[in-house]
Amino acid sequence: MPFREINAKMVEATVVPGQKMYSQRGAMLAYRGEVSFTPNIQGGQGGVMSMIGRRVAGESTPLMTVEGSGTVMFGHGGHHIQVINLSGDTLYVEADRLLAFDGTLQQGTMFMGSQGGVMGMVRGQVTGQGLFTTTLKGHGAVAVMAHGGVIELPIAPGRDVHVDPQAYVAHHGDVRNKLSTALGWRDMVGRGSGEAFQLELSGNGAVYVQASEEKL
Amino acid sequence: MFRLQGSRTLAVDLAGDAVKAKNGSMVAYDGRMTFKKMTGGGDGLRGMVTRRLTGEQMSVMEVTGQGTCYFADRASEINLVSLHGDKLYVEASNLLCTDAGLRTGTTFTGLRGGASGNGLFTTTVEGTGQVAITSDGAAVALRVSAQYPLFVDPGAYIAHQGSLQQHFQSGVNFRTLIGEGSGESFQIRFEGEGVVYVQPSERNTIGGDV
Repeated sequence: MPFREINAKMVEATVVPGQKMYSQRGAMLAYRGEVSFTPNIQGGQGGVMSMIGRRVAGESTPLMTVEGSGTVMFGHGGHHIQVINLSGDTLYVEADRLLAFDGTLQQGTMFMGSQGGVMGMVRGQVTGQGLFTTTLKGHGAVAVMAHGGVIELPIAPGRDVHVDPQAYVAHHGDVRNKLSTALGWRDMVGRGSGEAFQLELSGNGAVYVQASEEKL
Repeated sequence: MFRLQGSRTLAVDLAGDAVKAKNGSMVAYDGRMTFKKMTGGGDGLRGMVTRRLTGEQMSVMEVTGQGTCYFADRASEINLVSLHGDKLYVEASNLLCTDAGLRTGTTFTGLRGGASGNGLFTTTVEGTGQVAITSDGAAVALRVSAQYPLFVDPGAYIAHQGSLQQHFQSGVNFRTLIGEGSGESFQIRFEGEGVVYVQPSERNTIGGDV
C-alpha cells in the first residue's frame, strides 16, 4: 500500500480491507471512508514476547493499527516526512521517528551492541539513540519523520559516508556502522570544531540525513 | 563548488581545497575530511579582538579534504550568494559557509543594529567566491536602485550587498505611545544600488513590540 505525499509534511495512505497498517498513535489527521484505529498495546507485531522485548529496549513508541477501507492522512508535529520504499531489505530507524508503515513489513528490535561490540554500545550512548533500534524488513513503504527535510546519500563499497549522529535519521541495506572519533587536543581545551563524533557507514545501501542537528 | 541539495542542505564538493563553515554545521560527508576550529572567527588576531569587543562573535571551522561535505543548520533555508569582488553584509548568526578565499570582518551598523536585535555590529564578507546564508523561511532578494528605495522591517532583514546607504527611521506617533501601535514603528530604508535579502519571518526586536 503506497503512501502518496500531499505536501512535505503530510502523507496519504490508502487502506483496503484485509491489509493492516501501523502508525504512531495520534498521527492521524483526517480520513475518508470506514477506517478504524485500534490502539496497539503490544506496540507493533510479534506477540507478547516482542512487546516485552521492546519495553526493555526502550523502543516502545505507542502504535495503533489502522484497518478498514478508505484513505487516511498522516502527519505529526509539523515534521517533514520521507517515504521510503523497501523491496526485501531492512530499514534501521529509531522508533520515535516512525510515522506509519505497511502491516506487511516485519518489525523487530536490534541490539546495537551486536554491531561493533563495545564501540557499538558507546555509539548508542553518544548519539542519544540508546542501545536498541527498530528494524523493518520486507516489501512495503515506510513513512519516516525528520526535522527539516531529508537527503538520501548512497553508500557503496569504497565510498563510505560519515554522518553527524544528531542528523542521522535511518539507513537501509547491508550497511555496517561504527562510531568514529576525531577527538584531538583541541576538543580537550574546549576549542573543538563540534564534529568530534561521526557515524561511519560502509557497505551497500543508503543513509537518510536530516537538515538539522535537532532530535525530534 | 556550492550546490543546494533540497532547500535546506548545502553540498560542497571539495578537491583538496578548504571552506569556512559555522561550527558544528556538518551533517554528513563522504570521502576524507578534517575539521578544525578557527579561533576568533578566522580573522586573525586583530579580528578576534574586534569580535570579542563588538559582541559579533562567530565560531567557525575550517573544512579541508576531498569529497562532498553536507552542511545544514537547524532546518533553516539556505541561500547562495555569489560575490565578484563586492562586499556582503550579513549577521554572523545567518552565515553558514564561505569559500576559504573570502575575507570576513566586522563593521559598525549604527542604530539599525540596536533595533533589529542584532547588536550594533555586523559581519562583512569580501572577495570573489560563494557564500551560503541561512534564513528562517525562503528568503527573497529585493533589488534596490536609485529611484526605488526599499523599506525593510529590522527583524526580517538578513543581509545586503552592493553600495547601499541605510537609514533608520521610525514612525512613532501618539498612537504608539498609548499602546495602539501597528507593530511597524521602525524600518530600515535602503538607498543606492544593490540587493537586500529579506526572510519571511521576524526576529524578536524592540521595534516589533511597539
